[in-house]
Amino acid sequence: MMQDFLFKASNISKYYGQNVGCKNVSLDINSGEVLGIVGESGSGKSTLLNCIYGNLKVDKGDILLNDKSKTILNFTKIDEPKLRLIQRSDLAFVHQNPRDGLRMNISAGGNIGERLMAIGHRNYGEIREIASSWLEKVEIDVSRIDDKPSTFSGGMQQRLQIARNLVTKPRLIFMDEPTGGLDVSVQAKILDLLRNLVRELGIAAIIVTHDLAVVRLLADRIIVMQNGNVIEAGLCDQVLDDPQHKYSQLLVSSVLQV
Amino acid sequence: MNDMSKDKNIDIQIYNFAYLDENTKRMIRRALLKALCIPGYQVPFSSREMPMPYGWGTGGIQVTSACLIPKDVLKVIDQGADDTTNAVSIRKFFQKTANVAVTEKTSDASLIQTRHRIPETKLKEQQILVYQVPIPEPLRFLEPRETETRKMHALSEYGLMFVKLYEDIAKHGHIETAYAYPVKTNGNYVTDPSPIPKFDNPKMNNNPAIQLFGAGREQRIYAIPPYTNVKSLDFEDYPFEAMKANFKCSICGSSDSYLDEIIVSDDGKRSYICSDTDYCKEQTQLNSKEEDQ
Repeated sequence: MMQDFLFKASNISKYYGQNVGCKNVSLDINSGEVLGIVGESGSGKSTLLNCIYGNLKVDKGDILLNDKSKTILNFTKIDEPKLRLIQRSDLAFVHQNPRDGLRMNISAGGNIGERLMAIGHRNYGEIREIASSWLEKVEIDVSRIDDKPSTFSGGMQQRLQIARNLVTKPRLIFMDEPTGGLDVSVQAKILDLLRNLVRELGIAAIIVTHDLAVVRLLADRIIVMQNGNVIEAGLCDQVLDDPQHKYSQLLVSSVLQV
Repeated sequence: MNDMSKDKNIDIQIYNFAYLDENTKRMIRRALLKALCIPGYQVPFSSREMPMPYGWGTGGIQVTSACLIPKDVLKVIDQGADDTTNAVSIRKFFQKTANVAVTEKTSDASLIQTRHRIPETKLKEQQILVYQVPIPEPLRFLEPRETETRKMHALSEYGLMFVKLYEDIAKHGHIETAYAYPVKTNGNYVTDPSPIPKFDNPKMNNNPAIQLFGAGREQRIYAIPPYTNVKSLDFEDYPFEAMKANFKCSICGSSDSYLDEIIVSDDGKRSYICSDTDYCKEQTQLNSKEEDQ
């Protein structure tokens, strides 16, 4: 039973000099589960996400991944080539701004194909076929496979970024405000798409957002952060319907109702 | 030439042998040795100001300068030709500063500095081929960050290189890259062969000569030791193809050497000639000998 978790971070601390990035944060996630991390800006959400993805070096704590062959890997201990290989195959990272996650001067097909080629695909016909099927999955017209992302709308770029990340069938996907900066109807479409893909492919996800509606829709469990600390954690509906900590209460009550 | 020999004694006094001072040459030789030990790895070196602008082959000249010894026979080519401006000035430069023998014959040369071509005549052991390199980093136009490209080389993350070839096929239906076609050296580092036509790529593989690459502005040296495996990157369903214009040289009639296209009249009439002038001359001589018999 101990080996059941997919991903586990314990006592993660990260300091920027005197300033706290995040302090003693622990979280775990099982396969197929969606975890939301909410909190105001500056609360350490993105720092935490970058730490547990392996992009930032942590000052303290362990990050464990139960990989495909059931061996436990500790991100703070393994060497860089191994970590980057894991990041390319088992993990994925969706940035808030698609410009950070896409290559803007390379066609949509090339963007999706990059991760495939990075793990050793060397057959043009196959790569193209997989890229087309992923464009279809994220509802981008296949005829646009050779267009550059710079000619795409913001929503399409974000969907392309999602396709690019999911193409290697990762088991855990990290998302940093995936719907930030998009208008509401486009947000709804992306959320819908994400929910379907995550459920259909059984991918676990960690989603950082300040938007409670996003976690309500996608997440199974959430953790609430303030000043680098986790102040409340639990099932999504439980925390949102019956917040215990006064900051969570403030957060929930400040959502605008239409 | 006469003027030159008159001034010869003075020149040799003015310049150290082959222009660069001995400490600089030593620094470059160290970089060259390291480069030869790690085929395809780009070794940083502290490139010097040369008495000519960047882009004129300052990297190649520094490598040549560090390798030259008095008994060397030097050949310099630019796009295969011995008589173009770049080749003539570099040859003169070393005649003046090192007083070495020069030749146009590939087989007579012990050191060949080249821009954009590998000679058609097969190279042999004991020969050194020095390439002038504008951009040593094959990943540069795909990933602008030097820190990142170095990491990619270190971890052999070459997916991005294939993205470039993918884009070519997606756009043109075939791999359009015709020069500076990326190769994998010794099964490890992806290397930029400098802007030689991809027609020349197969010549790099298993070549008995030492191949040295110098990039002056970018301050990098890399090398391919003799008899090293050099493979051009490709896809399973779009294999690498060395290509050239499908004509015969209008001077020597050769159909297997790399051709330059020249426009010979105002109404756009074209003619094709060997880009390797030495090879062309050789073929012409062979042809006339056959005619005599």
